[in-house]
Amino acid sequence: MANINIEINGNVVKAKIGEMLISVTDREGISVPRFCYHKKLSVVASCRMCLVDVEGIPKPQPACSTPINEGMKIYTNNQKSKASQKAVMEFLLINHPLDCPICDQGGECELQDVAMSYGSDISHFAEGKRTVADSDISALIYTDMTRCIHCTRCVRFGSEIGGIMEMGGTGRGEDLKIETFLRESITSELSGNMIDICPVGALTSKPFRYELRAWQMSAIANVARHDLVGSNIFTQTYKTKVKRIVAKDNDSINETWISDRDRFSYEGLAHENRLLKPQIKINGKWEEVQWDEALEFSIRGLVNSTFNMSDGSKLGAFASNTATLEEFYLLQKILREIGSENVDYRLNVRDLDNVIDLESNIKLTGLDGIDYALVVGSNLRLEQPMINHRLRKAVLAGASIDVINAMAFDFNYRLNSENIVSPNQILLLLAEILKSVLESSYAEIPKYLSKVKVGDIAKCMADDLLDADNSVIILGEHIINNLQAASIAKLISKIAVQTNSTTLNISATSNSIAAAMVNFIPGQGGLNANAMLEADLRSYILLDVYPQYDFHNSAQAIKTLSKENTFVISMNSFKDKDVTQYSDVMLPIASFYETSGSHVNIEGVIQSFVAASNGPGESKPAWKVLKVLADLLKLPGFGYINSAQITNDISNHRYKQKVDNKEINITIKRGVSVIWQKSPYAIDVLTRHASALHATKIGLMHRASMNKATAINENIKAGDKYLGVPVVITESVSNNCIFVNTNQLTGSKL
Amino acid sequence: MIFSKKAKKEIDIWIDKYPEGRQSSAVMEALKIVQAENENSLSTEVIAAVADYLDMSNIEVAEVATFYENYNHKLVGKHTIRICHNISCMLNGADDLVVYLEEKLGVKTGQVTKDGLINVKKVECLGACVGSPMFQIGHKYYENLTKKKIDKILVELK
Repeated sequence: MANINIEINGNVVKAKIGEMLISVTDREGISVPRFCYHKKLSVVASCRMCLVDVEGIPKPQPACSTPINEGMKIYTNNQKSKASQKAVMEFLLINHPLDCPICDQGGECELQDVAMSYGSDISHFAEGKRTVADSDISALIYTDMTRCIHCTRCVRFGSEIGGIMEMGGTGRGEDLKIETFLRESITSELSGNMIDICPVGALTSKPFRYELRAWQMSAIANVARHDLVGSNIFTQTYKTKVKRIVAKDNDSINETWISDRDRFSYEGLAHENRLLKPQIKINGKWEEVQWDEALEFSIRGLVNSTFNMSDGSKLGAFASNTATLEEFYLLQKILREIGSENVDYRLNVRDLDNVIDLESNIKLTGLDGIDYALVVGSNLRLEQPMINHRLRKAVLAGASIDVINAMAFDFNYRLNSENIVSPNQILLLLAEILKSVLESSYAEIPKYLSKVKVGDIAKCMADDLLDADNSVIILGEHIINNLQAASIAKLISKIAVQTNSTTLNISATSNSIAAAMVNFIPGQGGLNANAMLEADLRSYILLDVYPQYDFHNSAQAIKTLSKENTFVISMNSFKDKDVTQYSDVMLPIASFYETSGSHVNIEGVIQSFVAASNGPGESKPAWKVLKVLADLLKLPGFGYINSAQITNDISNHRYKQKVDNKEINITIKRGVSVIWQKSPYAIDVLTRHASALHATKIGLMHRASMNKATAINENIKAGDKYLGVPVVITESVSNNCIFVNTNQLTGSKL
Repeated sequence: MIFSKKAKKEIDIWIDKYPEGRQSSAVMEALKIVQAENENSLSTEVIAAVADYLDMSNIEVAEVATFYENYNHKLVGKHTIRICHNISCMLNGADDLVVYLEEKLGVKTGQVTKDGLINVKKVECLGACVGSPMFQIGHKYYENLTKKKIDKILVELK
């Protein structure tokens, strides 16, 4: 696009031909009022607030829908512009109530601000204002539709970004109302963004209702840690408590959007279940003690149980995947200094000799530009909302997407094909794709593919992969406990190399990539998570682990940890029945947003953040607790004063994952596979305590789905319970598969 | 009944008139066809069924269905008297006629007579100002109305 010169308020400004006037004024910092325009949404020019004077055109023009041209002369603040802006403002206020003092938007309201700067202090209208009945649209969004000015940002958000049009304008003229079709019908995983983009107080945050005014809180830039993206956010705090979370712009990470999970999980921070004081168990009874006593007790316990045998390898450590990069680093450093290689964060994996080893090599911004994607084993919308959003953008720009899943899910874009395949057949289908790709490029067919017959479906996908210039293969979390997980990952990596595709491994979420980065997995001679539970270790350190939810084999974990003569140090942010039962010491640690640290996202970008508030009670950031533990153990190299020093230390040490050279094995496994998926609103301890999220449609999902044939084979009827989860019989599930969606009500019981 | 085979066939004719993937353009005709089959009104279930058939979201169809006057959302009688109350008709006494109709039928506008035969709906200009006051029953316009004339028309409605 050619550069041209235009004149705004007498100053010459450079711009590109065809750009809309408002994007030029925004770039130049010239203020033009607007309500319906939003930089990430389509232009409707319906509010008329951005009217400006363009020389040569008799009537004022809306800046949001006026394309610029060479030599244009624009006046944004002359008499004519000001008069039209004032007139529009007066019209908008005909029906808008004057209830700012009791409106949650007060103080951060675009209408209020614009009325102050561009409106008039008197109105010609004395008629009664119209009122609109409110409807309950969701557990997260409160509506006061009388305040709505019909800018339709929320409507366009639904159809353009959310992918499901859930809000709409019904009626006409004076009766026009923005509403949903039925009660509580907002189901989008990104719905909270409608609160951010609503320019008035019509859509406000339900959990935050009547809590505080915007100016009472301080906003601190932070990073959300619930997924692999690390969305940028502002944590807004009042008296050291996080009171609200809103999105922070970052075009290379989350644009202007954040998921509901990132926005509303903070509610859990103030939950009554928080662990507030250090406690030690003496003769089977819990006692609340001071920090120094608890730490000394911990050291004594460690020495008695492990060191007296002068064998460090009798100590093991588990960490949940939500820990920060620095916490993972310190914990593994302590164990390695002591001489133990027993560290692991992969608690939910059934078979740690059969793990996914696949690197991600595409940038988040790169996802917008792909023209083909193959998704294997993922319900993307719920698992990684922001990655799904980028794929949706690609689809709208013409990309085609094929899916290989064990069950049909709601995608909020059109799929090229959705292949519902039994979990045991996924490997075979991928093998067919690889063989087809190799055949098409006249490459040598390896021995393990010799017996594979290429079907039509595989051929189609193989051809699509070969034809695409810019393709990506995405490996999702349903594969993590697949009997052939390792081979599936290897096949994908081979297909990617052969077709010049990029890969995206989203099988482990939250801060898992940070754990892998600092080698929080057993090294030479070390025991992995499952082996640790079977071995006879003398002591364990657990970092924010809740066995009922976090371990794949939770019964075994609780049994092992409860053994007599095992000394268990639990660092937890929340109280938990099982933790109380098996621990010897419980150290309260800070939760999300209460500690400084770093998140590592799918691109490998380390995003550091500061603590937005203090932990409640006597809880302390886990990195500080670990540092003091190390000091008390007299271990060298722990002289850190702040977490940034640890981060620096880590950037100097990059670990390389060991390469696993096992052959790909194409054998068909038989039997029923169970895919156990946690609700996105119960993936970690914080979300499990965020009650508003649980009341949404996604949060209420609690069912074990299987098809009729599987149900008959397994002798299960509709209405039964499968491991405590209600059974639903549906043909949307593949054969020989039970797909269990659990929420905060159920831990893993496998 | 929400959707008969016959209705589907009729809607398909309309869908075929538009380019592929633009089936939502047939929404107005589809609503008209389905309304005729469902006691002349559109319930939320009916709207959802149309949305499903045309691959639209429910609220998109509801937007259309609530925008236009010719879709009904409550139970209506066999005949709907659509009486104009815009400026020309109003100046020529439409308001009096509405009161007369309400008294004569024993129902208010928006209600249906006990025998389920008639309901009265006030509508905007029907483009027949030259013959005001006027109302419309079915496809037929009745112009230059007087109370006497209305009596005669009502007798003929069965």
